[in-house]
Amino acid sequence: MSESTYAVVGTRPPRHDATDKVTGRAHYGADFQLTGMLHGFILRSPHAHAAIRRIDVSKAEAFPGVKAVVTSADLPESPEQMVDIGEGAMPLSYIRGNMLARSKVLYKGHAVAAVAAVSPHVAEEAASLIEVDYDVLPCALTVEDAMRDGAPVILPDLRTKEFGEQTGRPGNVAEHFRHVLGDAENGFTEADLVVEREFRTATVHQGYIEPHATTVLWNEDGHVLVWCSSQGAFTVRKATAAVLDLPVLRVSVTPLEIGGGFGGKIRIYLEPVAALLSKKSGRPVKIVMSRQDVFEGTGPTPGSHMRIKMGARKDGRITAAQAYLAYEAGAYPGAMVAPGAMCVFAAYDIPNVVIDGYDVVVNKPSTAAYRAPGATQAAFATESVVDEIAENLGLDPVEFRLMNAAKEGTRRADGPKFRRIGCVEVLEAMRNHPHYRAPLEGPNRGRGVAVGFWFNVGLASSCTISVNSDGTVNLLDGSVDLSGTRTSVSMQAAETLGLRAEDVRPSVGDTDSIGFTEVTGGSRTTYATGWAAVEAARDVIGQMKERAALLWETDAASVEFDRGVFRAGGRSITFQELAAQLDETGGPVVGRGAVNPSGAGGSFSGAIADVEVDPETGKVSVLRFTAVQDAGRAIHPSYVEGQMQGGSVQGIGWALNEEYFMSAEGAMLNSSWLDYRMPTSLDLPMIDTVIVEVPDPEHPFGVRGVGEANIVPPPAAVSNAVYRATGVRLYRLPMNPVAVMEALWQKESEPGGGSLHSDAAA
Amino acid sequence: MLSQFAYRKAGSVQEAIELSSRPGARILAGGSDLLGCLRDGVFSADRIVSISGLKELKGVAATAGGGMRIGALATLAEIAGHPRLRQAYPALAQAAAAAASPQLRNQGTIGGNLCQRPRCWYFRGDFPCARKGGDTCYAIAGENQLHCIFGGEGCYMVHPSDTAPALLALDAKVRIQGRKGARTIPLASFFVLPSVDPRRENALAPGELLTEILLDPPEPGARGLYRKVRERGAFDFALVGAAIVLAISEGTVKKARVALSGVAPVPWRSEEAEAALAGKKLDQQAIAAAAAAAVKDAEPLSGNGYKIPLVRGMVEDALSALAG
Repeated sequence: MSESTYAVVGTRPPRHDATDKVTGRAHYGADFQLTGMLHGFILRSPHAHAAIRRIDVSKAEAFPGVKAVVTSADLPESPEQMVDIGEGAMPLSYIRGNMLARSKVLYKGHAVAAVAAVSPHVAEEAASLIEVDYDVLPCALTVEDAMRDGAPVILPDLRTKEFGEQTGRPGNVAEHFRHVLGDAENGFTEADLVVEREFRTATVHQGYIEPHATTVLWNEDGHVLVWCSSQGAFTVRKATAAVLDLPVLRVSVTPLEIGGGFGGKIRIYLEPVAALLSKKSGRPVKIVMSRQDVFEGTGPTPGSHMRIKMGARKDGRITAAQAYLAYEAGAYPGAMVAPGAMCVFAAYDIPNVVIDGYDVVVNKPSTAAYRAPGATQAAFATESVVDEIAENLGLDPVEFRLMNAAKEGTRRADGPKFRRIGCVEVLEAMRNHPHYRAPLEGPNRGRGVAVGFWFNVGLASSCTISVNSDGTVNLLDGSVDLSGTRTSVSMQAAETLGLRAEDVRPSVGDTDSIGFTEVTGGSRTTYATGWAAVEAARDVIGQMKERAALLWETDAASVEFDRGVFRAGGRSITFQELAAQLDETGGPVVGRGAVNPSGAGGSFSGAIADVEVDPETGKVSVLRFTAVQDAGRAIHPSYVEGQMQGGSVQGIGWALNEEYFMSAEGAMLNSSWLDYRMPTSLDLPMIDTVIVEVPDPEHPFGVRGVGEANIVPPPAAVSNAVYRATGVRLYRLPMNPVAVMEALWQKESEPGGGSLHSDAAA
Repeated sequence: MLSQFAYRKAGSVQEAIELSSRPGARILAGGSDLLGCLRDGVFSADRIVSISGLKELKGVAATAGGGMRIGALATLAEIAGHPRLRQAYPALAQAAAAAASPQLRNQGTIGGNLCQRPRCWYFRGDFPCARKGGDTCYAIAGENQLHCIFGGEGCYMVHPSDTAPALLALDAKVRIQGRKGARTIPLASFFVLPSVDPRRENALAPGELLTEILLDPPEPGARGLYRKVRERGAFDFALVGAAIVLAISEGTVKKARVALSGVAPVPWRSEEAEAALAGKKLDQQAIAAAAAAAVKDAEPLSGNGYKIPLVRGMVEDALSALAG
């Protein structure tokens, strides 16, 4: 279907929430106010690992202005269960333990107690009066530390799960899993060249600008009301209810505008604590995190330790691949290593694969999702090795990838067989882009490429559409709008109904007003909630056909609808005209759509990066950057491009600057925007974008989610470019000036500097 | 946590001195560093004395002798944009322009920039380090890639100011007023090495106020610049930086001043580099010799050895730019 068949899809109307966002009118988490509201403050652990001997809150409770103090003793006890926390599930005891530490603190910044008082300052001062006796324990901060024999045991009850079975073995490895396809050992013997490399990436944070903020009222009727910034009101409701041991009916969550999430605002940190403070004080309680709280007390993305081994024949065919992926889970199991394993070789059709994944607890904050969680680390490693093989075989890096590209029918080592995907089309778009062919002259400059994959999810979404008498509609859905999804969802409804985008007034419902909807995450909202909107619009059309049939005294089945006009037997009536006659024909028309698609098509993404490395300072400047991504169908191309640019920028920050610096005792040393270096506009070129459209065959408009895959290739593309610029390959992120200088230095000091010890076989 | 304090707005320099003479008092100018330190609990104050209304501490003006007088309350933005400073004292104007971010340059003052507290993450974090009266510097055995390669003894922080090395290279003087009157001292003796006292960065006694900065007229044939190497294009401190001011006559360097940032607990004057330049033609040989001399006695810690080639390369690059 050509784009011209659509009137709305593929156009660029202004977003419905634009004015409120640019005028500062929009209400974010911290903007919410209630009469009589108290302010909460959370006391956090100064130690990375310590047993709590005693907590004495008496001085804080006696402090003037304090209305309530809570500790883990105030959390209810209830039987262990797995609780769905949006992207994955976690045992309830861990969720509670992360909310308020019980017998041990597991990372610096771990919440220990909380105070509600008449002002944030009083609450903070009172919290400083809480006495906590700690028995400081040795800590393990990386997977290598934590997997070592004799490493401090972080969770005494943890037993390693191996290949799906409980082993009964204590330690810090929560899980070891393996995916096998074909016979890797044999595959490597078929290879003419085998390259094996070891990689490490630092802990990084999503870096959303808005800190977590929540206001909770435990009402006199026993109902808990929550207003917060999150990626999904229903997930907040479920997790809050589970922690408080309440039925979900007794918790209502109203999502406020969100100032960035990137996966980090799916899990909850504050809501049950604020609820307990509200229950004790009888007043609404607001808690707003500081930036330091965000860095130290919420979930960053895992640091990793990886080994990738790949073998290829001289003709360019990859014969085998092996991955060792060990990710830092933080204080509780749940490092995003499983999705890392799903994505690590996903771009390639490789007959023989072994992937070993390790989920390892360490004394850092419990990690959370970050935009294609787990995939970026893995792609940095794989795409570096792929680049090295291409070079050694004398093949163009894009051509080499094309020769091995995954396509419809390719089986991934973790099981699924790809349906229609756009890996080849993305690579072809890279190869054909003027950037790829433009000369890059000058010393210390290099061009690197990489590709990346994110599988995307579908999951449950609900939407209702109410028809107004003037022919406009109100649309209500359950998806928090992180990135313009009000508009991309509305546009799909408008296209279906034959309306203009501005004839649809979208709003995001709370948990009392709309059907269950999963989090905004997994690149699912434009895909699944958009689909729900299409279903709701189709429901509206069906009901409107009945009204037309009533007017015309005919069968609804004989009424046809096309581009805003109903027709039957030579008669016709527009959507607007019919909308004006709803009262006379039976009353309001409300359409509903509820979907739960399971076969979302994954998105491939590619990056071309030109860099210049200053040999005097080690600073890597990105001169030019082109992002390519398969959007299936770009509903609103500007927002697709915005996603691609945003993901690229975050990927570049991850590649070059961002890092948790930790003291040996486990304290984060750079928990401020000043010292945690996210790139600024001065550090980046304009990110050029190319949207590739290989429609998802199942979605009504062919949408593939685009929120995540774009962050996956940039670190590898930048690293490959640094190699081409300097002859030095870096195996650790970030590649900051210090790391680059040291690598250049080492190259100079080595005889035959720059030789990379390729272990060419056969 | 911002602890409770009394806020007093001084109506005159004399009143500011009186109000700030007792222990626990802190001077507030632009506030961009002070308020952050108080909020983060780096130190506390029970009295804040604002000098922001003191007109006599504001402005940038030429002096009768052909030099410049810069009030302590002149903002970094004012200095960065001042036509005379840009033309005759480019090292200073460039250093001011390289500091922080536009908002902070509009708010931050030159006096505050010279008196700001260290950015060391151990000092700013919950570590009872030597500079806070403790008995150790955590950088010695810790994460020290951003720490000093010169002058560390008991404390290995680096002085965070960009303008301080520029003023040092310009042989600036500072005027200090206190209860006992006023004194004018070379900026070089304003900063205090940790070997003298690890708990303070400058020579100000309680109740003393830095009121103005004085610059001599530029030497004939003077040229200068400030170079700053940082990870991020804005809102970042120097990994290393160099302010260089040369007086060149008939192709020969008559006088050289090389002051480094990001390498020592004080802005670090490299007399070795200066000696390698004095009396020489500014050719490749002299430039390479000066760059090598600038790092000759460096003593890196476990993680900051990269600063040696970085300083050498930066000095070489900066001198080449001045030669061109």
